[in-house]
Amino acid sequence: MTASPSPSSDAARLVTPAMLVLWVVLATVPLWIARVGLYPYLGIEILIWSLYALAFNLVLGTAGLPSFGHGAYFGIGAYAFGLCQFNLAANLWACLAASLVIAALAGALVALFISHRRGIYYAFMTIAFGQIFWTVAIKSHSITGGEDGLLKIVRLPAGFGVISFDLTDNVALYYFVLIVFALALMGMWRLVHSPYGRVVAAIRQSETRASHLGYHVWLYKASIFTLSAAVSGLAGGLFAMAQLAAFPDVMSLHQSGYVVMMTLVGGGLVSFWGPVVGVFLFLIARDVIGALTNAWMLYFGLLFMAIVLFRPEGIAGAAAAAFQKKSLGSIRRQGSSAMRLLFGGERWR
Amino acid sequence: MALIEAAGVHVRFGDRVVLESIDLVVPEGEFHGLMGPNGAGKTTFFNVLTGRVKPSRGSIRLDGEDVTGLSSHRIAAKGVARSFQIMTLFDEFTACENVTVALPSFRARGFDMRRAAAGDNGFAETALEVLATVGLADKGGVRARDLSYGDRRALEIAVALAQSPRVLCLDEPTSGLGSDGVQRLAALVGRLKGKLTVVAIEHDMEFLFALADRISVIHWGQVVARGTPHELQQNEWVKRSNLGRFA
Amino acid sequence: MFDLLPHILNGLTLGLLFALIALGFMLIVGLMEQINLAHGSLFALGAYLAMQLTGPRPPFPAEIAKAWLALPLGWRYAATLIIAPAAVGVVGIAIEFCMRRTYGKDPLYGLLLTFGAAMVIEEAIRLIWGTRDYVLQVPQAVSGGFLFQDLIWSTYRFYAAGISAVIIGLVWLLIEKTPFGATVKAGAHDSEIVRALGINLTRLRLLVFVLGTMLAAVAGIIVAPIWGIRPHMGVDAVIPAFLVIVLGGVGSFWGAVVAGLLVGLCVGLSGAYASEWSLLSMYLLLVAVVSVRARGLWGKKSVLEA
Repeated sequence: MTASPSPSSDAARLVTPAMLVLWVVLATVPLWIARVGLYPYLGIEILIWSLYALAFNLVLGTAGLPSFGHGAYFGIGAYAFGLCQFNLAANLWACLAASLVIAALAGALVALFISHRRGIYYAFMTIAFGQIFWTVAIKSHSITGGEDGLLKIVRLPAGFGVISFDLTDNVALYYFVLIVFALALMGMWRLVHSPYGRVVAAIRQSETRASHLGYHVWLYKASIFTLSAAVSGLAGGLFAMAQLAAFPDVMSLHQSGYVVMMTLVGGGLVSFWGPVVGVFLFLIARDVIGALTNAWMLYFGLLFMAIVLFRPEGIAGAAAAAFQKKSLGSIRRQGSSAMRLLFGGERWR
Repeated sequence: MALIEAAGVHVRFGDRVVLESIDLVVPEGEFHGLMGPNGAGKTTFFNVLTGRVKPSRGSIRLDGEDVTGLSSHRIAAKGVARSFQIMTLFDEFTACENVTVALPSFRARGFDMRRAAAGDNGFAETALEVLATVGLADKGGVRARDLSYGDRRALEIAVALAQSPRVLCLDEPTSGLGSDGVQRLAALVGRLKGKLTVVAIEHDMEFLFALADRISVIHWGQVVARGTPHELQQNEWVKRSNLGRFA
Repeated sequence: MFDLLPHILNGLTLGLLFALIALGFMLIVGLMEQINLAHGSLFALGAYLAMQLTGPRPPFPAEIAKAWLALPLGWRYAATLIIAPAAVGVVGIAIEFCMRRTYGKDPLYGLLLTFGAAMVIEEAIRLIWGTRDYVLQVPQAVSGGFLFQDLIWSTYRFYAAGISAVIIGLVWLLIEKTPFGATVKAGAHDSEIVRALGINLTRLRLLVFVLGTMLAAVAGIIVAPIWGIRPHMGVDAVIPAFLVIVLGGVGSFWGAVVAGLLVGLCVGLSGAYASEWSLLSMYLLLVAVVSVRARGLWGKKSVLEA
């Protein structure tokens, strides 16, 4: 009797139970967020950064490539949104498309130079490019507003022909961002679990072997980086809308480091949902611990170092491991249970 | 026409000559062994054959087509499969996933970002068939890194076979295996004889002499002897050298 | 051509500084086979500590501070050149302790860890000193300018070039002429040999790491009056350090020096044409070099070849 490998049924789905649960929970957030002492804008930030971190993790977690300058694409997306609004068309869809496309072009350009590498050279190249983009953003005062940033960006209404929704209110914007997030999330989940995603994961584990199996490794690495940059840019465009401006500091090495830290701490190396967990933790720490001490970021950085040293599988990974021990011991069921749903699609290191 | 024709393959790394004008002709269906001391250049020859290294001079023809200097993914797509001396499996993938990703039909869908890989059972069936040929059908769902060493060696072969290759390059396939494992491997490879063209680097003389149609002996980057196992057993150089006991 | 001379000299000065930074970086890469991304932030920390020490509010208890402030700036500056790097060396010890778990593993762990350390240090700098620009005071003797051939030359740049050359020379003496240096070279070549010879590899690594960080710190102090002091100044140090070892190879002393001078010249000359963007040339050069070649002019295959 041959036992065929049972793929996680979640991997085959377009929408997993975990996603549905998450969306339902997220949809209710504006109703209770003020009551826990927080505010709707935080919800918007969490969604935007989650989108950004998930896109980033396509490169770090799925492809195993260390990109330390990813803030460049997030920032380019933000600037593209503003510049499109001022110079091309004050249309929400056009501006978001601009964010996505311009960031994708930037990503593709960088990918041309770096995709034949991995590891440390790759990392330094991404830092160098990040610095190049950041310097251009800061020095091009006439285009980007320089260090002062690109100001007076407006929240454009979401028009669908006959009806149009005003997004100036934080709650309205929140729901719009939630919808974009949900769609992008489905897309990224499917991407990671598609044949393409499988090949990229193979390349992460052994480029040599993948190449000898007939895969054009360079093309896969370049394409996943471009896709990641595109979605990061989309997140950046939403961010520009949210904060009504685009600033160069998100493109700095220091802030590019934020998304690396969030993703790793959350467990992005082993879990699809790791980045979301990390973003959540980071922003809550910023607001809750940040209210108590200015040094909250220092502590987060130390937490990051501890995670790299002792628990590289991050929070999502550790939780899933602890849970699996328990489930095997007590439940002993092949099917997925609630916790496993939330951390589905694991790729263990 | 021979399936593989290597002519004057010359490889230099810096000022070190690793392969010196190697000629090799392997007719289709032949099992050709490569033996020689460590560092003789055998693996480098494989690297040239599979596109990992560009020769400084010389050419490689595959079924008449000049493939010299093509990148490894292009050569692999032409039907050259390789196993590695130091195993390079996809450790996080299951055995079945390792084999699936090697299937040419899967590779054709390599840029499919829209469908789910897991849902497609066609691949799983083919993969299990391949696993069955190496005796790993019941371990399909086990992660590669959790397999025993012998099973991992078998999986290496399975992954190469999954590519439906015309040429199978085996780099020290018995390395690290106990006598049971070697017998198992010999039986498996024996079954492939005639159906595939095989080039195998080996130090295990019994294994090679039992299976190979012809053997080339490489030393200091040159072919110092070539012939059938029987002929080589009579060869003075081979007899005098320290290449192991022969059956 | 003569118009370019100040820029060429600027470039050579920067080049010597880059070589200094890169030497510290290279020793660590050579011996530990780990890339220390925190090298840049230690460079920055050196500058900040020096600024604090030579400024009006040195971090000493009241009695000592009074005595300290009574000394002429020249003395304080000279002492700072020793004290600040020593303090940074202590921070280096802490980082090395953290890194121990990553030795032997995928170098990416060391990279991530030191990236985290760099973030932590930069964050600490922002917390303590804020994000405004600072200026490092230097003694009268080396500041200001002088007139020569109708051009005004900065005295400080000559001093900076001079002292960098001296320190590079001292490092050379250490590596080439002392038993310690011989051990370091042996260890960089093959760490197993060193262990087999009974030398305490752990302590050797710690010493080399501390030396490397101190070199970074002293470079930060020397560069501070030229570049200014900002929290993110570290990036502009770690990138050329990496570029230098890519160009000059890991393990080649003169390769590092020559490569450092080349990078410095590149930055200096681009300063002649577009002074605002001169540092950018460094990043463009990195992209160009890594795109084209991997092994450097003199060095051997190293841990970087991943």
